[in-house]
Amino acid sequence: MPETLMVGAVAYDAKVVPIWEGIREYFRDAPVEMDFVLFSNYEAQVDALLGGRIDVAWNTNLAYVRVHRATAGECRVLAMRDTDVEFFTLLVGRTGDLTSASELRDRTLALGSADSVQAAIMPVHYLRREGLEPDRDVRLLRFDSDVGKHGDTGRSEREALEAVLGATADAAAVGAVSWDTFVRAGEVPPGRLAPFWTSPAYSHCNFTALPSLQSDVADAWTAHLRAMDWTVPEQRRILELEGLRQWVGPQLDGYRDVFDAVDEQGIAARW
Amino acid sequence: MVNEPDTGSPAATFDAEDLDLAGGLTFVLDVLLSDVHAGEMIEITSRNAGLIHELPAWARGTGNELVATEPDGARWIHRIRRGERPSLMFRDRPELAVEVPDRRDGFGTRDWLIGSAARIPERADPSTGFAPRGAEVEPGSPAFPFPLNDRDRVWAANVASLYDQATAQQWDASTDIRWDALPQLPNHLERAVAQVMTHLAENEYAALYVPARFIPRIHPHFTEVVLFLSTQITDEARHIEAFTKRALAGGGGLGRSAAITQQSLKSLLEQEDFSQASFLLSVLGEGAFLDYLSFVERFAPDPVTADIVRRARVDEARHVAFGVEHARYFLAADPDRAGVLRTAVEQRAAFLSQTSGATPHVEEALVILAAGGLRPGSLPDGVRAVRELHESMHRHRMGRLRSLGFDQQTAEAISELHTANFM
Repeated sequence: MPETLMVGAVAYDAKVVPIWEGIREYFRDAPVEMDFVLFSNYEAQVDALLGGRIDVAWNTNLAYVRVHRATAGECRVLAMRDTDVEFFTLLVGRTGDLTSASELRDRTLALGSADSVQAAIMPVHYLRREGLEPDRDVRLLRFDSDVGKHGDTGRSEREALEAVLGATADAAAVGAVSWDTFVRAGEVPPGRLAPFWTSPAYSHCNFTALPSLQSDVADAWTAHLRAMDWTVPEQRRILELEGLRQWVGPQLDGYRDVFDAVDEQGIAARW
Repeated sequence: MVNEPDTGSPAATFDAEDLDLAGGLTFVLDVLLSDVHAGEMIEITSRNAGLIHELPAWARGTGNELVATEPDGARWIHRIRRGERPSLMFRDRPELAVEVPDRRDGFGTRDWLIGSAARIPERADPSTGFAPRGAEVEPGSPAFPFPLNDRDRVWAANVASLYDQATAQQWDASTDIRWDALPQLPNHLERAVAQVMTHLAENEYAALYVPARFIPRIHPHFTEVVLFLSTQITDEARHIEAFTKRALAGGGGLGRSAAITQQSLKSLLEQEDFSQASFLLSVLGEGAFLDYLSFVERFAPDPVTADIVRRARVDEARHVAFGVEHARYFLAADPDRAGVLRTAVEQRAAFLSQTSGATPHVEEALVILAAGGLRPGSLPDGVRAVRELHESMHRHRMGRLRSLGFDQQTAEAISELHTANFM
């Protein structure tokens, strides 16, 4: 049994350092301790996991799909945030304008980064379900900023919303959690933007491990992770920063639509 | 989206009309939910279609539960249950209703002991930090390094009243003193006044710096003490200003400062225990200062000098009252603590015994002041007046010490050991 699990995470924001320092500290003297490595993008992190240089990756859903494909489905999901289960994408328009997704026909939809599942990949996927073929029935305006970070920075979603405010787009696709973050941070001007459509639920991030990771080690690490407690102030600080109240077990059904969307859109294993 | 019927009746309802979350509904929800217990429900009626899409992520992000969203004609009814793990982990609801004070004659600080603000702790919790006494503090707040967390180490029974007196009796040393009325005094008399003012000012620096050192050590839940000591500092600043200006105003200029004075004041500044420092500074030092200031007022050769020291004495009397009442509170918690106070005096005296006790330039100035000049016929009266000053200082010190419960012998010993420098 290795003494310390090496966990990878992507540094999409300065707060990532205190989050992982806090989690590492929480794991001090646990049955399985951990350390972490920060990557500048998910491709490098996935490569490091597949190459055995890290034991566990804190992955977005897209990064998870790639590991899943590369391991022929043998990889293991250890845990997710409660907020990763039933994740949604919202379509946001100008207040009083659009009331349904179908009204986007012949209008312009602003999308976030091409590698953002919430702000680009799933919106395209679900629009098709609504009977709208992107680029034919709906014009797409893409904001491919911070590519490699899978939309984690929120920058491309802000740009998409700006486009709606500036009337260069009629709607923007944003993650529901991002929208709530923007609203509660006072970044959304009152009364000018309104969400008008909520996507079906899908799953977001997870801790992914290779099948070669010993299961007793993985189980011990996961059990300690899931024991983090919102009511303990020092642990709550970390949970708040990472955007959850509780770590939960894997709920893999929620990734089915993500797999379908990646296949359907022919998204390459790397770019 | 959740659409479970729920039969529980809401603890609060609100018609949000067209309001969206960005337009302020988040704050409405925070207010309504902070007034109900975890598990209780609130009901929001809205005509805003966007809320259907916004509320699920809001509820999850704030640790609440969106139980149901039901259409109601052109409106929607959203039922939200307050969660067990809200964003801020307050233990209790804030007090919704407390008694209000009688404000007909203003709102005195001694009348602000209302509701939770009235709970003056015997031992304060370091992790309440700078939160005002009575405010609810979220668990997980950092512990502040206040060494003085015990009430009996700082408190005085009359401190709120003394604070109110202090704020009511502030004065302006630039404009409240009739500087234009200062007459031209004979040179040696003016220089004697200036020397006394120099001595008063340097003592007041100590009286400013000593409490200033302790304020950051006192837990803010003993706020009346902190506020009072802040007025003491302001008082001393004003006294330093007024005494210095008086030294300069008549052309006498600043006088001399003796090494013994500096040694004596330095030994005050080095006190590390608040109760000992307060005893040395306020009970013994400022107590002696009351006699000193009365003496200067009595023999002041001009109305400006008399006015300054009279005003200063009123302020100093508050400081003495605080010092005496703090010593009383400190001793009441444990009568054996009398030894702690006596030790402070003995240690300071031992330190000062290595120097000569005399401050002849100050004695000389006081004699000249009391004699009204250098006339041979008046000087013996001046000498006698200064001797009486020392006697009255001792007598008043004895009175204060005896009122604190020191026996005659101990009070005598403490009074005799007190510095010849007055402060």
